[in-house]
Amino acid sequence: MAIEAIAARFSTLRNWLVLLVLWEICGRLQVIASGALPAPSSILMRLWIDRADYPPHILATLEGAGAGFLIGNSLAVAAGVLFALFPMAARLGRGVNIALFALPAIAISPLLVLTFSGATPRIILAAIGCYFVTMSSTVTGISQTDARMIDVIRAYGGGRWSILALAQMRSALPAILSGLRIAAPNAVLGSILAEFGGGGRFGLGVYLLGSLGRAEPDRLWGIGLAATLIAGLAYALFSLIAVRFTGATKAVTVPATAPGGEATSWPLWLRLLLSTGSILIPIALWWLLLIAMGTPAMIAKTPVGLFEYLFLLPNSGVSQMKLLAALGQTLPLTIVGMALGIAFAFGLALMSVLRPGIIRGFMPVALVTQTMPLVALTPLLVLMLGRGPSVILWITISVTFFPAFVTMAQGLSMVPRAALDVPRAYGASLFTQLRLVSVPASLPYLFAATRLAVPRALLGVMIAEWLATGTGLGNLLNQSRGYLDYGMIWAVAVVSVLMSVVFYQCVVLIERPVLARRGMHAAQ
Amino acid sequence: MTGQSGIRLENVSRSFKGRGATVQALDQVSLDCPAGSFTALIGPSGCGKSTMLRLALGLDHADSGAVSIAGITPMEAARAGMTGVAFQDAALMPWRNVEDNIALPLDVLRKSRRDNAGKIASLIELVGLSGFEKALPGELSGGMRQRVAIARSLVTNPQVLFLDEPFGALDQILRRQMNVELQRIWISSRATTLLVTHGIDEAVFLADRVAVMQSKPGRITRIVDIPLMRPRRPDIFTSAEFHRLEDEIAGALDGH
Amino acid sequence: MNLTIDRRHFLGLMGATAAYPAMSRFAHAASPFNFQASWINDAEFMGYFLAADKGFYKEEGLELSYFSGGPDVIPESTIIAGKADLTLTTPDTTIKAIVEQNAPFKIIGAQYQKNPIGIVSLAKNPIKEPKDLIGKTLAVPPVNVISVEAMLKISGVDRAQVNIVPYAYDPTPLIKGEIDASLDFTTNVPFTIKQSGADAVSFLLYDFGFTIFNDTVVVTEEALKTKRKEIVAFLRASRKGWDENFKDPAAYPALLADSWFKGTGRSIDNEVYFNRAQKPLMETDGGIFSMSEDSIAANIEALAAVGIAAKREHFDTTVLEEI
Repeated sequence: MAIEAIAARFSTLRNWLVLLVLWEICGRLQVIASGALPAPSSILMRLWIDRADYPPHILATLEGAGAGFLIGNSLAVAAGVLFALFPMAARLGRGVNIALFALPAIAISPLLVLTFSGATPRIILAAIGCYFVTMSSTVTGISQTDARMIDVIRAYGGGRWSILALAQMRSALPAILSGLRIAAPNAVLGSILAEFGGGGRFGLGVYLLGSLGRAEPDRLWGIGLAATLIAGLAYALFSLIAVRFTGATKAVTVPATAPGGEATSWPLWLRLLLSTGSILIPIALWWLLLIAMGTPAMIAKTPVGLFEYLFLLPNSGVSQMKLLAALGQTLPLTIVGMALGIAFAFGLALMSVLRPGIIRGFMPVALVTQTMPLVALTPLLVLMLGRGPSVILWITISVTFFPAFVTMAQGLSMVPRAALDVPRAYGASLFTQLRLVSVPASLPYLFAATRLAVPRALLGVMIAEWLATGTGLGNLLNQSRGYLDYGMIWAVAVVSVLMSVVFYQCVVLIERPVLARRGMHAAQ
Repeated sequence: MTGQSGIRLENVSRSFKGRGATVQALDQVSLDCPAGSFTALIGPSGCGKSTMLRLALGLDHADSGAVSIAGITPMEAARAGMTGVAFQDAALMPWRNVEDNIALPLDVLRKSRRDNAGKIASLIELVGLSGFEKALPGELSGGMRQRVAIARSLVTNPQVLFLDEPFGALDQILRRQMNVELQRIWISSRATTLLVTHGIDEAVFLADRVAVMQSKPGRITRIVDIPLMRPRRPDIFTSAEFHRLEDEIAGALDGH
Repeated sequence: MNLTIDRRHFLGLMGATAAYPAMSRFAHAASPFNFQASWINDAEFMGYFLAADKGFYKEEGLELSYFSGGPDVIPESTIIAGKADLTLTTPDTTIKAIVEQNAPFKIIGAQYQKNPIGIVSLAKNPIKEPKDLIGKTLAVPPVNVISVEAMLKISGVDRAQVNIVPYAYDPTPLIKGEIDASLDFTTNVPFTIKQSGADAVSFLLYDFGFTIFNDTVVVTEEALKTKRKEIVAFLRASRKGWDENFKDPAAYPALLADSWFKGTGRSIDNEVYFNRAQKPLMETDGGIFSMSEDSIAANIEALAAVGIAAKREHFDTTVLEEI
């Protein structure tokens, strides 16, 4: 067994090495995209040459990400506790939670820069990146507390707060920590994105922006590598802390379930009331925030202002047409891209069971695609794929597949051995085992992965439209920014959030009856 | 009337709604455990014995009927620190060591741990865990964990003690040993005790009275008095009187 | 020449007979002034950097806060939101906002007399005039598409015959030949192309009929009323900075390498190229920032071609007169 493990390690290492050598050769010979893909050695050399540039940028990124991490996670844990203790609050908070989860960062970044100043947009974007993951981990952790433990406390007259203080918080700690380790890289990436757009002096995003015009891919990859490293270290740091507290490592996924509460026991009128509330709360928050910030009405559109822009102004017809035309371009590609991304993730997840060696070799590449800022990869992608729908789909797949893959692979690996023993005893092949047991048993994870993929697919399409094809909502957003068409900036942001939420709800609507029929619960 | 610290259930009903079907867990059940008595509840799975215990603990509420502990509601009794409880699985907190787990009820009731340090030490000795005070539950065997749970149930000097299959997860040999120890502990504390069990022998060995339950709907069908002298020694398990009582209860369980 | 006039004017404004005490008193009570630049720190803003480093703003009694720009920073938004007192914009977007949204902006000066934006291509596949674009792929930042369309229209080129794709900050696709040309600052990108070993050719949209300024100096009407003194002071100090810069455009960027240009990701050679190339686009008889009646008329005409109804009243030259 130990020898097998070592051999597996060795073959993984060998695969990585082969990949690295291949990359080096491709880079040296300039075979990919006529040399737009730099060799690893030239990236490293470039990093060394630029080493004096990095410290202030890294420091600034860490500041923004760190502040966002603290604020976002504090709010997330508090909200998680609230939602876990009061199902009604969870139901009311659903709208806000899904909206925060589904926010496409590129649509929200300009709004933040409009509304806030200084480092605040960085901090908010980093905090948003943390919120959903940590909030749902907290809810999961608290609600998975051993019921008997709670009974012991209640049997001694302990109330909600005693239970929380003595049992739930502590037993939720591993779950919260595993949430934090996903949140940490999210905070870094959120901050970098806001730095890129927000016009500060320092931060890796600022450095990237300044370097883009140089047509030197090795610099861009170096910055990407630095971002990957920070994100990776942040992940590793919280993994270490988590190991200290749990004593065991666990596979971790991004939770994609918004806590819904037990709606079944509530009367219909109450459920309707709560649903309405959960839709109205995000809108109210949007409104209140703008009032609190005192941002002038011309640039900050309240719900009423947006309604006026889209329906009541003489120009509204034109605005509607523009928006609908862009939506018409973005929507089909989002659906196709999402389907392909999920299919790709599913294929990879199956491969991870059938041919684990290949997947382990592929993982570093997959990880790099997740933390490399896409804007740095665009020239490469455009050179390789052109500027048609195919580049949109590939970018969409690349931003969609990874979290979905991790979730699905976890689902497949969590199928109990005992369940597999029965078909195995009848001599079933690995493939038959997957078909008969693993895939049906991990259905909740497949749905969770799909929920996860939804907002990312839209994000991918919009980024590709913005950077490569000049179509759809991504382009409209960018164009509106230039034309000071504030109404349209808000309209695109709101429409993209709504689209994400609708997709998400569609998955939930399919998921619930399918899982219920099979007596399963939604996976986190 | 019940005494100072008795358990009393009067015409208690409780039903649960499942998918489409309603299960009558308890139907008009009454039970009166006088102060200082030891009552065992025995019955097939799903007969409502755990539900009864949860009602008496205040963890659940009856649809109708009344439950009282020493004349007050279960929750009031719990808050007053009159009760103690041990569950089927030890339900220890994995991050607390033996001492801290035993002290949990004190924390819940906001009682000083320092004032009770002697009590905790003597309980650890009573359940035979001296030297394991600082051990974490993960480092203990199943039997040891169960003994921690018993010690925890006694830390508040309860006048009323609830035991929900406390030895259900243990093997037969260990279970016998624990039964003997429990009797010793009970004799020294004289708490009114309600024991939920699956084991006929356990019920006969420990209880003054055995309430036999049936399911669909859950109800008490018979109460068998156990007139064996205390302290009961392990060799009593093989006595003719013991077997007769076992057979009587087995018969009652079969519906005779 | 400029310097003496400035000083005299300044003293006159102060109404002080003894220059020094008045100046130091003023310096102590320096008015805070926020300036929002339109992009990240590069040679485009040399004059302001120099003016700050040489203390020109302090001399004018300003405590300057300089904010760098970026893709998501809409300069006009910062002055509406009160985050900045003055900003640099493109005249087309500013005037469009005035006309269509009643935005309370005034254009009070222009950094670039000729918009540096142009069509850049490789010498081996040269595009020297709008007609050459027919059948080619041109990368344009989405915000500039209307400018390009106007230029094409003015030059009589059918828009449908040019394949316009988005430009995403990186000239690599142009260098690698994936696109034939891109719209960018002609003061900047040709340098990068040369660095990569190719030669670039370019032409300005300005030279083919799209005769607009760029980096127009914009304030709100409100600020013009309440902060006029500071605005004039800012323009005067900034003009001094620019004049100083153009005395030796090749020398100054290196002096800012460890301050304003630290860690921008760009090179000093690049800034030198930029600084030299922008000189002829900025210098004008009336002094930096000036807007002659002819050039304003040319702007109005060019903007009319893209459907923006610019009017003389959108430009306010009275502030310039006070410098």
